[in-house]
Amino acid sequence: MDLVTVKGLSKRYGGIVALSEATFSARAGEVHALLGENGAGKSTFIQILSGAVRHDGGSILVDGQDYRPANPDAAQARGIAAVFQELSLIPDLSVEQNIWFRHEPRTLLSTVNRAEMRRKTLALLDKYKFPALRPEQELRRLTLAERQIVEIAKGLAKDPRILILDEATSALPAREAEWLLKLTRQLAAEGRLVIFISHRMAEVRAIADRLTIFRNGSTIAVHEANAVSDNEIVTQMIGRHLDRLYPERIATATDRIALKVKGFSSGSRLSGVDFALREGEVLGVGGLQGHGQRELFQSLFGASKASGTVELWGKPVSIGNPRQALTGKDGIALVPEDRRGQGLLLTKSVRENLTLSVIKRFTENGLLSRQREAALVKEMVDFLRIKAGTPEQLAGTLSGGNQQKVIFGKMLLTQARVLLLYDPTRGVDVGTKGEIFQLMRDLAAKGYAILFHSSDMPELVHVADRVLVMRNGGIAATLEGDRISEASILRAAMLESEAA
Amino acid sequence: MSAFLARNRLIVLAYAGMVVLLLVTALFSPGFLSVSNMRSTVVLAAFVGIVALGQTFVIIGGGIDLSVPWVLNSAAIVMALLCGGQDVPLVWVMPLLLAGGAFIGLINGVGVAQFGVPPIIMTLATNVILQGLILVLTGGSPTPSAPALIQFLSVGRIGGFPVIALIWLALTLVATLLLSKAAFGRHLYALGTSATVAEFSGVPTARTTILTYVISGLTAAFAGMLLTGYSGQAYLGMGDAYLFTSIAAVAIGGASILGGSGHYLGTVAGAMVLTILTGLLPALNLSSGALLIVYGAVILLTVSIGSETFAGLGGRLRRREG
Repeated sequence: MDLVTVKGLSKRYGGIVALSEATFSARAGEVHALLGENGAGKSTFIQILSGAVRHDGGSILVDGQDYRPANPDAAQARGIAAVFQELSLIPDLSVEQNIWFRHEPRTLLSTVNRAEMRRKTLALLDKYKFPALRPEQELRRLTLAERQIVEIAKGLAKDPRILILDEATSALPAREAEWLLKLTRQLAAEGRLVIFISHRMAEVRAIADRLTIFRNGSTIAVHEANAVSDNEIVTQMIGRHLDRLYPERIATATDRIALKVKGFSSGSRLSGVDFALREGEVLGVGGLQGHGQRELFQSLFGASKASGTVELWGKPVSIGNPRQALTGKDGIALVPEDRRGQGLLLTKSVRENLTLSVIKRFTENGLLSRQREAALVKEMVDFLRIKAGTPEQLAGTLSGGNQQKVIFGKMLLTQARVLLLYDPTRGVDVGTKGEIFQLMRDLAAKGYAILFHSSDMPELVHVADRVLVMRNGGIAATLEGDRISEASILRAAMLESEAA
Repeated sequence: MSAFLARNRLIVLAYAGMVVLLLVTALFSPGFLSVSNMRSTVVLAAFVGIVALGQTFVIIGGGIDLSVPWVLNSAAIVMALLCGGQDVPLVWVMPLLLAGGAFIGLINGVGVAQFGVPPIIMTLATNVILQGLILVLTGGSPTPSAPALIQFLSVGRIGGFPVIALIWLALTLVATLLLSKAAFGRHLYALGTSATVAEFSGVPTARTTILTYVISGLTAAFAGMLLTGYSGQAYLGMGDAYLFTSIAAVAIGGASILGGSGHYLGTVAGAMVLTILTGLLPALNLSSGALLIVYGAVILLTVSIGSETFAGLGGRLRRREG
């Protein structure tokens, strides 16, 4: 009998459907992989299973009994534990204090029984052959990979019958990832169910008994792992999107190189990236999340440190901070990932936001000319069709799409002709999305050079002239013309063997 | 006009509070509104206002300057020592001490902006260090009396107007230009609203932060010298009261203590409110202990009513209920 049976599971966030009629079933003693693109509904699904989110419709049966946890504690009481990508550990506590947090062994006086905690910790670490972890280590001294391992230990400490691993290997170096895969098989052999989420096809192949594919919030297929090809899986993950969202793509790239990057590296997240972006070109940057795209964009803009050479319009530049990036016509501008945290002053007006980067330009003898500022603000509001009551409206009160337009406006006013757009359509309504794509093509036609990352693959396929696919901090493939497709991007991003 | 009122609601509120407080005080203490009394109120408020000028810039930028008392005190004492009651040395002593105040501000600013020391710790440390330096320097002995020229600046009059009030007016004009009409002001508000957004927008965040502390050092040192003229000599601890009043004046004036909003014009009203309050309370015939308690409570209340910090908290609470 199945340990978990999910039928017709639905979840909406406002107008956004995260899950619609999803189904799922898995047995005790198996490793069950959950696959899907970013936004396919995997995260929502496991959040519901682990008690972090409550579903709107459908049913979940665990052991044949109705399951609707009110919170993660209730989920754990039913034997379900999850290890998330975003870690839930407390930096000031030790490894063992984190592992047993809120479930510490107690003495008769109800104080923490330290000796017992130590004993149980060592027993746990030993049983599953955890790589070098010392119970008394303070968590803040550990690397990201070590923290991930502590998180796994914390999940196992609850002795769950169902363990959910959400991209648990993504933060681990090869050896530790290997260990985790073995551990997963061991847990299944003990009769537990492991629900395993990974974007690495090779891992899924190595350990999964079965796999379930999600797309757009629904279950698309369930396969025995050894009875399906990689290509079949990729095709099912992507499905087909039919959209008139995208403007006609007319090649406007010239031979002139706007941005040339060589040996660009940053920590362990970005290694030896080389590429050239031409005048009039929209160059897409794709790949699975967390493979260096963020670091590439932030480092090019000077918001984080990097090494390597960067040339703008044929001149070597050294950009140590955003101020050095925004140097007018020869500069490089970023529409950042975090609109509210990095892009906009929410409590200030549209006008103040638009002119923030170029306010010096409106001063005469050190004093601002409000007329000249107002004129340029009006021009930009009209050009981008920003829907605000007046330019004095606070930016935080605009819709997501209009907020994004304000950030575009701020960056366009700097006159930089190399634009870095990091997921500019995220959380933006469909209509504005179309406007943004049209704007990108229009700017390219005017000679702007655009580096464009999107977490939504079809956008790259339909808007970009070429696509760089990133994997493990490097460029795994450069796709051009007819070779740009969701399947080819995903293949290059996931399959080690297809490296170009 | 209505847009102006809406945008500067808290500043308008501070001035309304000032007028109400004036009328209440006049009720309890007839003669409070006399020309001579108003003149002395403005003179006292000017000291608070000048110290609070720098504090306003620092707080709008998202910081706080706790080194104000001993920058003020150090400038006062060193000036009295160097001048020895003579006017002539002021020619070099005043610029020197203004530069000294600016230098302390520079240290504060660099510590905060370049080394990431929290403003409270950074400025508290410079405050204590200055206190120690001055104690070593003077051995705790009293200083010579203030030069006559400084006395003129703080208690003298030109055409019936207190000189210091005219100085305050000029400084208010400069501060207003900086905040409302200069690129620096725009950068400052952006910095205080979100340092990350400011950084991503190409705002020179470090330079802007440092400049606010430099301004604060300048105004605290300047106020210290003027205050020496007012009291006739410099003494240890003369700046102590200005830590609280400079911050309270900014808060009463409508600035968020978390940065990003407020204006020096509001701080001016805040300085007046605080000074009128010290005039009202003695008229109520309370003991000096009770006086301090009421003073503190009234300031707490005033700040709570006006401040955006509180308004924001109220909003959060309402949302949670909803």
